[in-house]
Amino acid sequence: MGIEGIPFLENRYPVTMDLWPMEAKEFNRVYGFYDNLRAGRFTTTKCNKCGYTAYPPRVICPECYSEELDYIDLPKRGKVIVFTEQLRGVTLGFEAPLIHAWIDLVEGSPIKRILSRIINCPEGTLNEGDEVQFVVFDVPAHPMEIKKETITAERVFFAFEPVKK
Amino acid sequence: MDKRNACIVAAGVSVFGERKGHIVDLFQEAAKRCLDDIPALKSKDIDGLLVATSLAGRTSSQINTAPVVAERLGLHPTSICTRLDTLCAGGNSGILLATALVESGMADVVVVAGGEKLYTPQRWEVFYSAFNVVDHDWDGAQGLGLPPPYFALHAKEHMKHYGTTKEQLAAVSVTNYGFGAANPNAQFRKELTLEEAMAAASVAPPFTLYDCCPITDGGAAAIITFEEKAKELSDRPLVYIRGGAQVSLHSVSANWPGEHLGDWPHLRLAAEKAYQKAKVGAEDIDVAQTHDCFTISEVIEVEEFGFCKKGEGGPYVASGQINLGGKVPINTDGGLLSCGHPFGATGIRQGAEILKQLQGRATFQVEGAEIGLAHNLSGLCAEHTVVIYGKEPVR
Repeated sequence: MGIEGIPFLENRYPVTMDLWPMEAKEFNRVYGFYDNLRAGRFTTTKCNKCGYTAYPPRVICPECYSEELDYIDLPKRGKVIVFTEQLRGVTLGFEAPLIHAWIDLVEGSPIKRILSRIINCPEGTLNEGDEVQFVVFDVPAHPMEIKKETITAERVFFAFEPVKK
Repeated sequence: MDKRNACIVAAGVSVFGERKGHIVDLFQEAAKRCLDDIPALKSKDIDGLLVATSLAGRTSSQINTAPVVAERLGLHPTSICTRLDTLCAGGNSGILLATALVESGMADVVVVAGGEKLYTPQRWEVFYSAFNVVDHDWDGAQGLGLPPPYFALHAKEHMKHYGTTKEQLAAVSVTNYGFGAANPNAQFRKELTLEEAMAAASVAPPFTLYDCCPITDGGAAAIITFEEKAKELSDRPLVYIRGGAQVSLHSVSANWPGEHLGDWPHLRLAAEKAYQKAKVGAEDIDVAQTHDCFTISEVIEVEEFGFCKKGEGGPYVASGQINLGGKVPINTDGGLLSCGHPFGATGIRQGAEILKQLQGRATFQVEGAEIGLAHNLSGLCAEHTVVIYGKEPVR
C-alpha cells in the first residue's frame, strides 16, 4: 500500500493517526484491561493496600500510590439517564446518527456513571430509563514495527447496547 | 520591594474565522494589533513570551511553538519563553501565569499570545484531529471528539432538573450574536432572531446550529506588566489582574464531580477561589466573559458564578440579565458563539474585551464598569479557569 505524496509510508502504518487505543503490552501497561475486554469482561483496577477502585485502570493507586493493584469486574448493565443522537460533526470513523448516552451503572458500582456510545440500536428507538448492557466488538488491527519485527495487534473496544425487551 | 501589581496594558485580536494562512501568520497578525494598541512599547522591551496553542503539533506539524513564535514576532525573551497547552483555557492560563511572573519579579513585560489553525488544508481533518482534544483512549474512543453531543447531555440534564427550555438556550445565542454583529473580528457578524435560532438544523438534540460555537482559526495577544511600567507605557486607565484560579478535579467523563451534568461544582470552586483572591463577590462583577462554547454553558455559568440562584439560569438569561442594561452583561464582544473559538486565543480575546470595558472604550460599553471577569472551561468540561480584572489593585 502506497500513500501518494508521502512515499516513505509505503507499507507502513502511521499509528499516530489511529482512532483506537494502543492496546498491546508493548505500548500500554494497562493492557490487562484490554485482555479482559477480549474475554468479554469490563474491569478496572482496585488497590490491594487501601482498597480504592479507580477508573480508568491505573498503574499506581491515585489514593495511596501503591503499585499493588488487581483487576476487578465492573457492572455490565445500567440505565440511560440522558442521551443524544448526534447528526452533524460526527468524528471521522463513526457514522451519524451517533448515539451518546450518560449511563447510571447499577447500585453499589464503584463507578457511578459512564459516558458511552450506544450501538446496535436503530435511530429513534432509545428512551431515557432504558436498560443497556456492555458489549465488546472488534476494531481494526494494525501492523506495528517493533525493533525489526512487525506485529499485528488485534484490538477490541466496548460500548453499550439496548437490553432486548 | 513593595508587592508588584500586574496590569493588562494592551491587547490585539486577529480576524477570527476560516482563515487562509499559517498559524505563525495568525500570531503575527494578532501581535501587530496588540503592539499597535500601545505605541510606547518597543518589542525589545519585552522580556517574556507565553504562547498558548494546543493543536499546533497536530494541525500545523509544529511542536515547541514558543521559540518559533518569538522569532516570527521579532522577540528575544530573556526571562521566559514557553508554550502552554490547556486547550480552551490556554489564553487565560497564560494571563494567570504572566501575572505570577510579573508580580514575583521573574519577568517585567510579558506577551501572552494564543492561536490555532484548526482548518488545515483539508476541512475533513478537523474531524480527525478532534479525537485528541478529549481523554483519547477513554472518551475519544467512544466517538467523542468535538464536544456538542457531550454538552447536549448537560442541556438535557439541566432541562430535566430545572425545567430549562430550548427557547431559553436560544436566548443566549440571540444575545451573543447581537453583540458579535458589531465586532469586525467575529466569525459571524450577523444578528440572529429567536425564530432563526429555533428553526435551525439539528446537531445533537436539543442542540441546533446556533447552540454551538464554530470551529475557528485565529490569534490574540496581550501585554502583562507591572503597575509602574504600565503607567510609563500608557495614558489609559490602568486595568489590574486582581486574581484568578484554575481548578481541575477530573479528566475522563466517568469521574464527573457533580451530582448530575447540570451541576458544576468545579466551577463553583474556581469562582469561589478567584473571588477570594480578588477580594470581590458575585455582586461586584460589572461585566463578564464566560465560556459560551454552547448555550447551555452560559446558562450553567451564570448560576455557578452566583449571578442568579442554582437552577434559575434559564429564566435569568431569557429575561435580558446578560444583555446590556441587565444585571451582568456577558460576552459583550460576541463570545465564543459569535466570535468563534480558536482555543489558545479565546482567553486573550476575552481579556481584550474586559480591558476595553474597564477603560470605557468598548463597543457595547457597560457604564462605569470597574470589575470584570473572564472564564474558560476546557476539555469535556474538565477544567475551569477564572481571571478577575479591576480598575484598582487588591489592597
